[in-house]
Order: sequence, then C-alpha cells, then structure tokens
Amino acid sequence: MHTLTYLSDPDLAGLYWPAVVTGLAIATLCSLLSVLVVLKRLAFIGQGISHAAFGGVGVAAVLGLVGSTAAAATAGQFLVVLAFCMLAALLIAWLSERGGTEADTAIGIVLVGAMALGAILLHQAQGRGAVVSVETFLFGDILSVGWADAVIGWAVAAGVFAALWYTRRRLIFWTFDQTVARALGVSDRAMNTLLMILLALATVTAMKLAGVVLATAMLVLPGAVALRLSHRSGPVMALAVVAALAGVLGGLLLSFELNWPTGASIVGVLAGLFAVARLIEVIRGGRAVAG
Amino acid sequence: MEGERLGVLGPNGGGKSTLLKLTLGLLTGYAGTIEVFGVTPEAARKGRMIGYVPQRTRAELGFPLTAWQVVEMGAAVGVSPWRSLSREHRETVRRSMEVVGAEALAEQTIGSLSGGQLQRVMIARALACRPRVLLLDEPTVGIDVAGQKQFADLLKHLHDVLGLTVVVVSHDIRTVAAGCDRIACLSRTLHSHVAPEGLTPAVLAEVFRHDVAAIFGEVHVDAHSASACSDPSHRT
Repeated sequence: MHTLTYLSDPDLAGLYWPAVVTGLAIATLCSLLSVLVVLKRLAFIGQGISHAAFGGVGVAAVLGLVGSTAAAATAGQFLVVLAFCMLAALLIAWLSERGGTEADTAIGIVLVGAMALGAILLHQAQGRGAVVSVETFLFGDILSVGWADAVIGWAVAAGVFAALWYTRRRLIFWTFDQTVARALGVSDRAMNTLLMILLALATVTAMKLAGVVLATAMLVLPGAVALRLSHRSGPVMALAVVAALAGVLGGLLLSFELNWPTGASIVGVLAGLFAVARLIEVIRGGRAVAG
Repeated sequence: MEGERLGVLGPNGGGKSTLLKLTLGLLTGYAGTIEVFGVTPEAARKGRMIGYVPQRTRAELGFPLTAWQVVEMGAAVGVSPWRSLSREHRETVRRSMEVVGAEALAEQTIGSLSGGQLQRVMIARALACRPRVLLLDEPTVGIDVAGQKQFADLLKHLHDVLGLTVVVVSHDIRTVAAGCDRIACLSRTLHSHVAPEGLTPAVLAEVFRHDVAAIFGEVHVDAHSASACSDPSHRT
C-alpha cells in the first residue's frame, strides 16, 4: 500500500498529509455549496469563475507569488487569485445585467479572456526566470499543497459555513423563488454577490488540488449525486457531504496507489459516484430532481 | 379599503404588471407619490406588509423541499438568524396551510404537487408572512373551470376567515368577477371602479377596446355566492 507509506514515512508525510487535510476542507466546503450550484443552475458561472482563476495565477506569477509553498507566498497568491475571481464574477454580472450581453455569452467571454491573460502573464513570468508549471494550475498538483493551504482551506470552510448559516433563511428563499423573495425585501444584489463570493472562495481553495479546469467538478458533482438519491433537504445535504468526502478520499487513494494525477482521480471518482447514483435512480424508477 | 377584495381587470399590456411592480416597490423612477398603508412601497416591501403570489410560479420546483418547508419560508424570512423559529411561527405555518386547505400536503415534496395544490401552498406561504394585503397576480392562468370555481371559493374563505384585504390582478373577467367586492378596470388608465355587477358589455368593451361580451358570453355575477361564469350558450 503506497498510501500507508506516503502518510507514515517521516520523509514523505510532510508532502502528502497537507494534501489530505486540504482535500477534506475542500470536500466539506464544496459539498453544501454544490447543492445550491446544481439547484440554481450555476455550474457554468462556476466554470467561468474557476477559469478566471488562471488569470489571477498569471498576475500572482508576475508579482513573484507563485512557485513557493512558503506561507506568505501561499497566502498572497490566494488573495490575488481570489480578488481576480471576484472581479471576474463582477464583470460577468455587469456584462449580463447592464451590458446587454446574455449571461452565458458573458461567462464565455470572461472565461477565455482570463485564460488568455493568464497564459500571457505566466509566459512573461517564465521569461523573467520564474519556475512556473502551467499544468500545475490547470490540473492541480498534490505536491504544491502545503500546510498553509490546509490552514487557508479550513479557514475558508469555516467562513463559508458561517455565511451560509447566517444567511440561510434569505438565501434559501431567494434561490428557491427569487421573484417572491424580492417582493419580501430580500435583495437580489446582496444574494447574488454573496453567492459569487462563496463560489470564488470555494474555487480558489479547490484549485490547488484539482486545478482551475477541474475545480468546478467539486462544486457540481457532490450536489448532483445527492439530488439523484433523495428529494428531502436533510438527506440531500448529508449525501452531498458524503459524496464529496468519498470523492476526495477515493481520488487521493487512487492517486497514491496508481500514481495518477490527483485532480483527475478525484473527478473520476465523483463522476463514477454520479453514474452509480443515476443507476440507482433509474432502478428505483425515480425522476431526475434537477439539472 | 382594508378588508375588501379588489379585482384589477385589464387587457394584456394595460399596465397591470407595472401597477404590481410599483406597489411592490420593484420599479423605481416613477413620477408622483405612491403610498402603501401610509409608507413608501419599498418600506412596505421590507416591512413584509404585502403577501405576493406571482403569476405562474418561477420557483425552482426541483428543490428538495416539502410544502411545509416552503410555507415556513414565509414565516421565517424576517426572523433574525440568531433565533430559531418559535412555536408561534410554527403555529402560523400550520394555520396558513389549514386556511388554504393544504395541511394534508405538508410532507409532500414541492415538485410532486399539482398546479392547484402548488397555488394553495404559495398562497399559504404569502399568508405566513402575516401580510396586511394579499396580492394575487393572474391566479387562474392555466387553471380549468373547476379550478377557477375552487379558487373563487378559496378567496371567499380567506376573506371570511381572515378578513384579509385581497387584490386580484387578472385579464380574466371571470376571475375578478368571482369573489371580488369591487373591480378596477385598468387599460393604460384606470377606467372605472365598479361592483362586479357593473361589468356590463359596454364597460368591458371600453376596457378591452373590443366587444368582449360578443366573443366571451355575458358575465353573470352572483357576488353573494362569489361565483361567476360565462354562459356557454352565449359563445359564438
């Protein structure tokens, strides 16, 4: 068992344990959000925000915050990428609300624009001698995850949980029935902004392990799996957490044992869980709940 | 007037939706002054004075929520996040479901309800906010004649039991004639303000700019039994 060796060998444990602890934070953080993402059909905007993170990585690389697992560099990179993702979310909202652009077109434009900017800035940073692997940011790299990422991951998870708990009544009402919630004084702008901030936080946290291309999977698949298996809110939440934890831990196990890329392994396990959940739904003769 | 049932009748494009949005404080930039119970529409909205049931719900019916949880949203929306829902809140939810005859649906998931059941749950949710006025936008769109009769009965029941002010906005003559005490006809301007019995072919023709009675049959109104229907024998 490579897994036991990696996690118990004093020389290797320091490399792999941070990934496990960060993975658990990401699973917890993304699981509940993913239910909202699926029900509110936010998968594509999640994709837009996560790809925008690549532009943020480019900015961080130019600022010299990439390529180190030092706590200061990790925190700096996190903040720069987070700020970039939020700007991208605001730009998408502005283009679609005020700019007369369809929402999916706005997402598509910001997505490719940010990717292009990221590629140019990373190229510039590499030209100045920075050691930056583009693949690390696109698909994630377990060895780039340090203890600072684990601390940030759990801090973000706690913050997201606190925000979800505090806004639970207004947020659930608004996501369920925006028209009536608005008529009862729930602010569209406040709820939209909150969701975008939470999505950006989750994406930037998940990016280290899964990469910008695969991070969205964590924000879609756990909720999609849970909604195939139950129509009740309590069980759906619990199943989303279980699916996310199974995806991350199963993916890490596959990655350790078979030396597969970690992000792809996690997504593979989650996609497998979705297939099984769908099969169970079909056998039960149930209908698809959403998405 | 408080406690009455007002029907707002008008053709498509007559300004009904605009009037609703203005009343709900969702449209700004208008000339003049609008007051809802003596305050601005924005303040009325934030004070949850208006229970709103929109035309054709745009709610996400795939949500894993029971009818009870949906009605509970109405009671809980103004409650501080630090407080849990009290027994009084739960009692409000129960009574709201009871008054619309939806108590048996409490544990059903929202996506499994029929159109009529869903409408009752949505009205119960609006009632659970404890509003001073209930605003129903095109409540009978897509509902068959039997459903429209049930709706008229429900409106009368709400009025009798709760004494609530109800505003029904519709382009459907039968919907506003049934169970409303007064009718305002809106076609860009507010044309007339009549009792249901006053919906004569001449008034309808003026509002709809068309000889409605000739197409639709005359509207027979019995305000006391709160029922109305078009006479099929008058159809062309």
